[in-house]
Order: sequence, then structure tokens, then C-alpha cells
Amino acid sequence: MMVNKKQIKELLNESACSHNSEKKSSCDKPKPGATSGGCAFEGAQISLFPYADVIHLVHAPATCQGASWETRATKTSFSGIDNTPLGYCTDVSTNDIIFGGSQKLEDSISYIVKNKRPKAIFVYETCVTAMIGDDMDSLAKRLQEKYKTIIIVIHSPGFVGSKNLGSRLGGEAVLDQLIGTKEPKEIHPYGINLIGEYNVTGDMWQYSPILEKIGIKIISTLAGDGRLERIQQAHRAKLNVIVCAKSLITLCRKMEEKYGIPHVSVSFYGKRDTSNAIRTIVNAFNDKELSAKAEIIIKEEEEKLESKLVPFRKILENKKAILNTGGNKSWSIASALQDIGIEVVATSVRKATLEDIEIAKKYVPILMKVPANEQAKLIDEHGVDILLAGGRSLYTAIKKRVAFVDVNQEKKISYGAYNGLVNLASDVCNSVNNPVFKVVGTKAPWEKDND
Amino acid sequence: MTKPLQINPLKLSQPMGALLAFLGIKNTMPLMHGAQGCASFSKVFFTRHFNDPIAVQTTAVNDITAIVDGGDYSISEAVKNITKKVKPDLVGLFTTGLTETKGDDIKGAAYLLKDTQKMVYVHTPDFEGGLESGFAKAIEAIIEQLVEPQNNIDERKALLIPNVNMTPIEIEKLKEQISLFGFEPFALPDLSDSLDGHLGLKQGALSSGGISIEEIKKLAECALVISVGNSVEKCAQMMKEKNPSLTHLHFDSLGGLSNSDKFYKALLEFKHIDTPSPSIVRWRKRLQDALLDTHFAIGGANVIVALEPDQILSVVSTITEAGANVKTVISPTKSSALDTLTCKVIIGDFEDVENELEQNDLLISNFHGERLTKKHNKALMLRGFPNYEGLGYQLKNDFLYEGSTYLLFEIANILEHYKH
Repeated sequence: MMVNKKQIKELLNESACSHNSEKKSSCDKPKPGATSGGCAFEGAQISLFPYADVIHLVHAPATCQGASWETRATKTSFSGIDNTPLGYCTDVSTNDIIFGGSQKLEDSISYIVKNKRPKAIFVYETCVTAMIGDDMDSLAKRLQEKYKTIIIVIHSPGFVGSKNLGSRLGGEAVLDQLIGTKEPKEIHPYGINLIGEYNVTGDMWQYSPILEKIGIKIISTLAGDGRLERIQQAHRAKLNVIVCAKSLITLCRKMEEKYGIPHVSVSFYGKRDTSNAIRTIVNAFNDKELSAKAEIIIKEEEEKLESKLVPFRKILENKKAILNTGGNKSWSIASALQDIGIEVVATSVRKATLEDIEIAKKYVPILMKVPANEQAKLIDEHGVDILLAGGRSLYTAIKKRVAFVDVNQEKKISYGAYNGLVNLASDVCNSVNNPVFKVVGTKAPWEKDND
Repeated sequence: MTKPLQINPLKLSQPMGALLAFLGIKNTMPLMHGAQGCASFSKVFFTRHFNDPIAVQTTAVNDITAIVDGGDYSISEAVKNITKKVKPDLVGLFTTGLTETKGDDIKGAAYLLKDTQKMVYVHTPDFEGGLESGFAKAIEAIIEQLVEPQNNIDERKALLIPNVNMTPIEIEKLKEQISLFGFEPFALPDLSDSLDGHLGLKQGALSSGGISIEEIKKLAECALVISVGNSVEKCAQMMKEKNPSLTHLHFDSLGGLSNSDKFYKALLEFKHIDTPSPSIVRWRKRLQDALLDTHFAIGGANVIVALEPDQILSVVSTITEAGANVKTVISPTKSSALDTLTCKVIIGDFEDVENELEQNDLLISNFHGERLTKKHNKALMLRGFPNYEGLGYQLKNDFLYEGSTYLLFEIANILEHYKH
């Protein structure tokens, strides 16, 4: 098996993660029969598929790619064929299990090179192809020389761990095989890399023009609206910006060690966090002029936002909400809700890391550890108007006759940065005003009151 | 050279089919024996398709158990952890490519747990077969392992064995039709009771409805077993092994006038009745009228169909009766269901669909057809898995006189809209 045990152990014990001084909360092995959430392959897919100008070939049987292609709304501005939503899969069959899958992989790569002529091919190793022991690294090396096409291998069999680990493995592959393989024509003094921003529903485009207006240049991304050539030049950026995701912190630490690039961690959800994110990025350059320019633009943007929020504020004034979601959303969405005038009574930290819990404490007074038991009671006690949660909590909202917003549903519109906040305000207003939750909650004519 | 890979696959995996079958059994926890991603991908896939919660757990095979465990450790751990929280009537254990490559002994693992948890086990590697065969294999395993052999039959009871493509409402409607002939109908599995999209009292962790274990045990009493779709014909034959005196009626397709006629004729004969219920008579007349009303729009329209084989046959038999010119069908897997078709048959993917699209007016396929038909400015009718965008597809009925009528109107309207 080509999976590197040492590397995985290192990724799981990341020294830059605060929780490793105490316990390994979200990085433990999954428990049989009590596990939800995706595998390492899905994590690698999420972090790297947004590179639209390369072909992503999954060396796997039917499930891995058959069930998952064209599912994520990661947008790109690439003018060529957008490979992000496409599903390339070797569709490993019984024969390949018996005789090995290397020949099929070689044929598939050859077919892609001849018929699609991509700049690069990213090949993903999955459970079955790791088990049958296909030597993908040497095959990729040989074919790269033969076809003069960049071929990189991502060792991401699902069984090595969670989605989070897979994102890290994706980051490692990019660091080892791509970053630093191309030199830029000139080095920008305010160049940054955006790490862990996947541009889902165009979130990144809500703030990237603002950064550029200030004078910041986005050298590369991992991987929202990403391009091969840009990530190859990522080593010449001056700052790594981790966007709302902790999984790629190892990559950032290593880039700091190898290329001397410092990193900052930010969130672009809500007004305060967006403004703070811009300040954090700009201040990292220690340039008074740049910081002053940023303040002017932040002021302009905040004023524009406030005028757009006026009609919503009247509706949302004095409204109370409970938030039940996971990870960094437990505080980033809370912060955004507060910015549009909603009082967030409680948030769930059931699935949050220790770091996220620390941050959540700063925003929300009540942290729910067992939201399924707590939220119904809290709705009554605090006169809550809105429940923002995953589908599992829908019935609680109907029973309590409060508005419901499904925060875990695949969102179709961006809630990122200043403009996204207007979208969030509009969506929450629509839910609050919608009679549907009360209509659905009425009793059938044949039900008794004590039913 | 034949294409060595899939580009934009139409193919869905065997374990996904098995998962769906177990969701039609009451109070069941489907347990996918593989890495956590197999279950997670499938759960998200069906949750988005049905817009409803999907019960499934995983044995969460990791890099250590992948090597040293023969399956019983992760399976028994999984069952232990599941039963800490819920009390399932059944755990439906099914494998994936990973655990089949390892060669796990799931029969042995299930046997070791037989005193603590009722289980059905089935081999469904995702490196062979597809959605239809996974669904069928799970039904075969349920029959083999749960249905008690019988010698006597109960004249009032009838069993429907649907194929994986049938929507919850199609199963319900078909049961209703069978009941019009004086039967108490059962469906194995019965998704009409679980994934029909109903607001339940609370969201449980197990399947939200379906046929019960007690009902399954007694299924061999059924006087009649009706299988619909080539992929599940063998399941019904296995019922016959449980009770040789039951009667088996098989239909490859229940789409269109002629197939519906065959269905009702067989039931009339079996029951020795001359004329069926008035609603059946009425719906046949409506379908006749629909065929005439829609034949201007449908007649001569060039159509390409990319679905699972049993659904291809069903849709094609309906629309060709109104004169549709089905030029090409594209199926993810081989099937003898497609043998009777006279058009071009490709075992392929959405790249093949795109290559064939230009010479057609309308594509009938799953959600992945949307990007293609927009790009090439063609009409699209959504059917099959997955349907991420449209709502209410669990209540789409394409079967028998009534469903065929709806299908014809829908397709005619889409074609008319597209022409203008």
C-alpha cells in the first residue's frame, strides 16, 4: 500500500493545532456503527477538484465517483473546459481486482492525454486500489515523462481517515509535487495565497475584488477558482491566508518552514469578521499606507452594506435565534446573524473542535453540547423565533411553531463577506415571514388536542 | 480502442442499490461494510435525491482493520454501537469493494451475532454489477435468509417485487391495483411506506417505514408473486423455492397500453374474472385519449434515453406507442432487458450521451443531463437517480394506464415548450 503511515501520523498530530496539547477531538479514528461524515478521499476531492484546468481521475470502483460527481457548487472563472463538475473514473472491475489495476490506469491516462490534452492530471488513489497495491507513483512518473504532461498522485484511500485528513493529504500532494515548480515573472509585494477557500457558490468572489482594490494580489488559491500555474508559483507569495478551515494548517506550517511564508487565519462570514479578516491580512504586511487604504475601503463597504440591510433590519429587529450546526459554522454563522441584528441565544458545539468552542464562547452565551435535548427547551425559555439547523431538527421547529432555516442544506447562494450577508438577511427574512411552519404544524381534523 | 475509463458516469454502485432495498424494510438499519466514505457518499446522494433523511451506518473500516480484521471485529463493534442507541428489527449488512477485496466472511460475522441482533447479509462489491443488481441481490438475501418455507398458500395474499427504479408512489399505486383484484398486497421492499416523503412524528435513526419482519417471514404464503423488471425476476423465482405452489407472474415493463393490457389480462385470468374494476376501465380510456392527444407532439420526436436498463425499457415502451423515435439508449450496465430494443444500445456514460445528443430533440436522464441539454439547447425530461434539483419525484408515477397517461402528457408538454 502506498499510503505513508508516517505522513498520516504527522498530519493527525499537527503541532499547530491547539487541541493536540489536550486531546485529539476531531482527528480520532472513526467508530464503527457510530460514524457520520465523509472519508479521506472526499476530503481530497473537496480540496483539489476546484482546480478547473486539470483533469481529476479517480482510480476506483463505481461508488467513489459515481455517487459524488457534479455535487459541489464550486465556481470557476476559467474560460476553457471546466473540469470541476466532471467525473473521470477508472471504474475498477473484478478483473482489475484479480490482475491489478495498473494497466487500466495507464490506459485511462493515455486516453485522457490523447483525447482531452489537459495541462495536468491529478490521480486519486482510493481504498480498493490501495488494497490491490497498484504502484501509482512509478506509473505516474513514467507516463509524465512519456507524455510531457504533469501527473500527480494523491494517496487518499477512504479508510485512512476522515474528510479532514483527506484535505490535508490533498494539501500535502500539492505541496510536494506542485508548489515551487514554476517561477513568476515578478514578485508582488502584497501577494497572498488563499488556503481552504473553495469558492462554493462564489463565496470568494464576494471579497476578492475588495482585497484587490486595496492592493493585495491573490497569487494562488487552494483551490477555489484555482489554476495549475498559479499554485505552482504559490511559494512566491508573502502571506498564506487560511479561510475558515483548519484542515490545511499543516500545509501552511510547512510552507512557513520551507519558504518563510507566515500565515493568518480568517473568516469572511458577517460584517465584523469580514472587516477583521481584511485588517488581519493587510496588517500582516506592516505597511501604514496599505492599512490606511484598507480602512477607507472597509468604511465604504460597511456603509454600503448598512444601507442595503435597512429594509431587513426592521423585520429582524428583536428576533431571537438558535443555531445548531457543526465545526466553524457554530460561530461564523452566529457572528453573521448578530451582524444583521438577530440575537443568537445558543449555538451547538457538539461537533466543534476545541478551537471552535473557544471562539464560539466569545460570540454566543449558551453553548449546547447535546442540542437534540436542549434546543426545544431553550426555544420555550427564551421565546426564540428562528431555528437554524440541519434537517434533523425540522420537526422541533414545526412542533414549536418557529421558523426554520436548513443551514446544512447545499446552499445555492453565497453568504460570504458583505454582499453575502445581504443574501443571508434576505433568506432569514423570507423564512421568518413564511407562514408554512405554522400551517404545517396544525392538527388534522381527526386529531385530539392531547395527541 | 474501447474507452478504458468512465467519463461522467451513469453507473451507480451495487452497495447503493442494496442500501435502498433495506430502506424499504421497517425499523431497519442498513449497515454498509466499508470505509466511512462509502456510506457517507450514498447517504448524501439519496438524501438529496429524496429530500428526506436516509438511515445508514458504516463499519468504518480503517487502515488497521483493513489489514488485520476479517470483518467480524468491525461488524460486531458496529452492531454494538448501533444497538446502544436504537433497537432495530433488522440490520441489513452489505459489503463494498474494499471489504470484498479483503475477502471478509460476513456470513460468519452475522452468525456470531445471531443471538443479539437479527441480520441479513449480502455481498455487493462495487467493482461488479450496478444499482439494479445491488437492489436485487439484497432482496434475494432477504428472501433466502428470512422468508419461511411454506406448503400452503393464502389465496388472499399477493406479493409485489419492484425493481430499484420504481418510485414510492409507483409501488403504492401498483399495490392498489393488485388490491382491486381482491388481494391483500405486500411489497418487498416497500419504499411506498418509507421514502414517499411524509412528515413523520419525529425523525428516527432507522428506516421510517416499510414491510415488517413478521410480514416478510410469512411471504411464502402469498398465492401470487408479481415481479416487475428484468433485474428482479430471479428474486421471484427464489420465492417459488420457498413455496412451489405459489404462482409467479413476471413483467419486464409496465409502461404503455400494451404492457398494461398484459398485466390486467394476467390478473383477470388468475382470478377468473371477466371485467375489472370500473376505475381500471376508465383509466384505459384516458390513456387511449392521451395517446391520441399527444401523438402530434411526440410522434417523430428524436429521443435519447440514458437510464438504468429496467427503466429504459419501461419509458421506451410507453413513448414509442405515441410514435417517439428513440434513436439511442445508453445504459450503465448490460442487461437482457435491452435485448428486445431495436434502436442503438450503448453501454456507456454521459460522454456517450453528449456524443449522441446532437441528432436528438429530447434527452431522458438523471440530473446530470441538465448541464448537457443546456449546453446543447435540447429538451430534458428528468428520470432516474439522482435528481438533485427537481422536487416531488418520489410521487411521479409512470406505470400502467394511469402513470403512462401522466408520462405522455409530461413529455408532450416538454417537447412543445422546447419547440417554441
